[in-house]
Amino acid sequence: MTPDFLAGIRFADFTWAGAGPFSTKIFSDFGAEVLKIEGVARPDPVRVGGPFKDGVFGINRSGYFASRNTGKKSVAINMKNPDSRETLYAIIRQSDIVSNNFGPGAMERLGLGYDDLVRIKPDLIYLSMPMYGEDGPLAGMTGVGMTISAVTGLMAATGYEGEGPLGPGTHFPDHAANPYHAAFAVMAALRHRRATGRGMKIDLSQVESTINCMGLAVVEAAATGREQPRLGNRSPHHAPHGVFPCAGEDSWCAITVLDDRHWQDLCAVMGDEALAADPALKTEAGRLDSVDRVEAAVSAWTRGLSAEAVMAACQARGVPAGVVSTSRRLMQDDPQLRHRDYWQVVDHPEIGPARFTAPPFRLDGERIDLKRPPLIGEHTDSVLADLLGYSPERIASLRATGVLE
Amino acid sequence: MQDDAARAAELRPERHQAGAHPEAGTHPEAGAHPYPGTRPYAGIRVIDLTRLYGAYATRLFADLGAEVIRVEPPGGGSDRRLPPATAGALAAGQGGVPFAFLALNKKSVVVDLTTPAGRDILKALVATAAVVVVEPEAEDGLLADILAVPGVRVVTVITPFGLTGPYAGFAASDLVVQALGGIVWLSGEPGKPPLKIAGEQSLFVASLYAAAATAIALWDAETRGAGHVVDVSAQECIAHSLQNAVQVFDLEGRVSTRGGEGTRDATESAFACQDGWVFLAAPLALQASWSGLLAWMKEEGFDGHAALTSAPWQDRPRRTTAAMKAEFKVLIERFLADKTKARCAAEALKRKIVMAPVASIADLGADPQLLFRRFFQTVAMPGIGSEVTIPGAPYRLSEPVWAIDRPAPRLGEHDAEVLGRMNQGHPGRADPAGRASA
Repeated sequence: MTPDFLAGIRFADFTWAGAGPFSTKIFSDFGAEVLKIEGVARPDPVRVGGPFKDGVFGINRSGYFASRNTGKKSVAINMKNPDSRETLYAIIRQSDIVSNNFGPGAMERLGLGYDDLVRIKPDLIYLSMPMYGEDGPLAGMTGVGMTISAVTGLMAATGYEGEGPLGPGTHFPDHAANPYHAAFAVMAALRHRRATGRGMKIDLSQVESTINCMGLAVVEAAATGREQPRLGNRSPHHAPHGVFPCAGEDSWCAITVLDDRHWQDLCAVMGDEALAADPALKTEAGRLDSVDRVEAAVSAWTRGLSAEAVMAACQARGVPAGVVSTSRRLMQDDPQLRHRDYWQVVDHPEIGPARFTAPPFRLDGERIDLKRPPLIGEHTDSVLADLLGYSPERIASLRATGVLE
Repeated sequence: MQDDAARAAELRPERHQAGAHPEAGTHPEAGAHPYPGTRPYAGIRVIDLTRLYGAYATRLFADLGAEVIRVEPPGGGSDRRLPPATAGALAAGQGGVPFAFLALNKKSVVVDLTTPAGRDILKALVATAAVVVVEPEAEDGLLADILAVPGVRVVTVITPFGLTGPYAGFAASDLVVQALGGIVWLSGEPGKPPLKIAGEQSLFVASLYAAAATAIALWDAETRGAGHVVDVSAQECIAHSLQNAVQVFDLEGRVSTRGGEGTRDATESAFACQDGWVFLAAPLALQASWSGLLAWMKEEGFDGHAALTSAPWQDRPRRTTAAMKAEFKVLIERFLADKTKARCAAEALKRKIVMAPVASIADLGADPQLLFRRFFQTVAMPGIGSEVTIPGAPYRLSEPVWAIDRPAPRLGEHDAEVLGRMNQGHPGRADPAGRASA
């Protein structure tokens, strides 16, 4: 299905890189008109960051960019050209939301701060998502997604037992915590505006947003005065709980025994009656005390089997287990994702047909069909002509003076 | 008698009582609401049948004014017992730490859904709701009952793997969902096991996607009168959050893996300093950070500076190899060995180097930026503590509409208010006396 739930809602979208465009993508996927305002001379870094189709560079060939910008329109304007302001304001007057994820002050320097824009569009919804928030002593700090992991406690908590912090191997906060907090906030602001006629400014500090996803650890530390040390894949409450080596190179299966029944079931799966009967291991506390011995017994069993076989055997008895999946397994072999039509092929003039993740839910029994991402500047002329009523001569003149790129 | 108090409370959805930090009152979102009843989700009732993966989704609605009603079995929902949880708190009808955080602002009623009378009460509750968020147990028939209730609403179903398909009945946990979602593979170090991300992240990731999708579906339900069913898979949510690993495999045939061999720059990692660790990122793509780092090293007379200005360090692909990572780690940790986290942070800010301390949870309370913005709040959490620190709003809104109004509910705390009122509104629909008591 191609939902038009948000038809009639327009974004003037200045976001770039990872977290910002992921926030606005769900709106274009649901039928909002997201006008991606972007420069050509200084393009969205993700456009030049790859991966590229067949490894060949091209400003329209980045798969990463494509995955974050489905269904958007690209309007190529040089925001740093002072003459661009009139056109930008004209677009913003006809937009419901202005979104950006630049550092603090950047939009203000372009004449695009909230205080500037609310004068020309009083009920504007304005989303800004600088890393550390709009104001404060570290507001000017620059960072990437992993910086956010570092300063929120997520990196310190993620690592092997007895070793240093590693953190997620990705810029994890960019890919869920921050974009979807932002999207939820924008939807709330739209509903608030509908009820009251009032817009609002959303100052989403990506650090503050991410700390909410560390809320369990924050409250545990506050309540107990202690924080959990790095435990790798272990749990402070359950054992065995980890990823176990399986037959084949670098092949692993997660197994988590969450209660005493799971333990008896796992012992039955392993065919280990002595282990099942061991009174020291019948309780969570006992297994945690003997965690090395418990894990050694499980590993001895998993090493002889494929990860798929371990998962199937455990799941047949209701023990939570899952293959540690690579991108290859996800895209080629995972029967669940295939069954649910998770992977979508989107054709693209320069990339060709490529596969993307659908939004991670089915709606009324169907998948959301993705629309292709825009070529840079693809919609500049049509937006200026159709939305703003600019004449071909005026568009040509703006192009000649460098406002349009 | 309790009904009167409840009705009075209902007329004041803007109230603040749950021990918000006094100083937080200087922030607009923590002050009194000047437009009573106009919080974004005021007037929206959410029936909350979540246990884990959806618990944060309903909290997001509650924090913005929705009336979120947990429907719990006699004895309480299993999420009350999520560890750490003390026996005393559970005996008092409270819950453990995860529950205390995830159920802030929610209400609780007890309904025995194993009885026909209980099912009738649930159906009557659903009839009054615009949103239902449910994590069904396999074959409990709950979803069919909910979907059979007439009316326009959004029913969001959150499960580990989705409602359909060969894994639909699989047992799950945070680690299992992270593993099958593909993110465990991406973390950790080569030669060691793949590594889970801490903090029960599959719960938060699934809840965030579910909340956004529910809000969009609700918009359509209210705009066009079309009800919707959203079938959220936590596995798909994780797989949707793998950075560019999907496209790297699809377009270039490479499998991204832990350690970032071939993808991540040698400088992008946590490194030991004098009193802890700092995270640094200074790839050539972040030119200011790289040149700022080199300039700092030069000023300090660091003898590793020459090596880092040699030709191999201008070669982007080469900088992603294990050999270059190992070389850089030795150099940078030698450079940082006599520098504290605080010194590194100050130099980073001054020199525009992308570098920050690796903070523990305890460190967060001293973060000058978070202090300046008065980010953390304290709330009373019965059974946990009278002044417990919680993260403040995930977004700062210029309209005063985000608030923590009440602690996580005692089991059945809102029976009289919700079920009693409902019964008056729907005479004969449900008999509160017929439900099982806690």
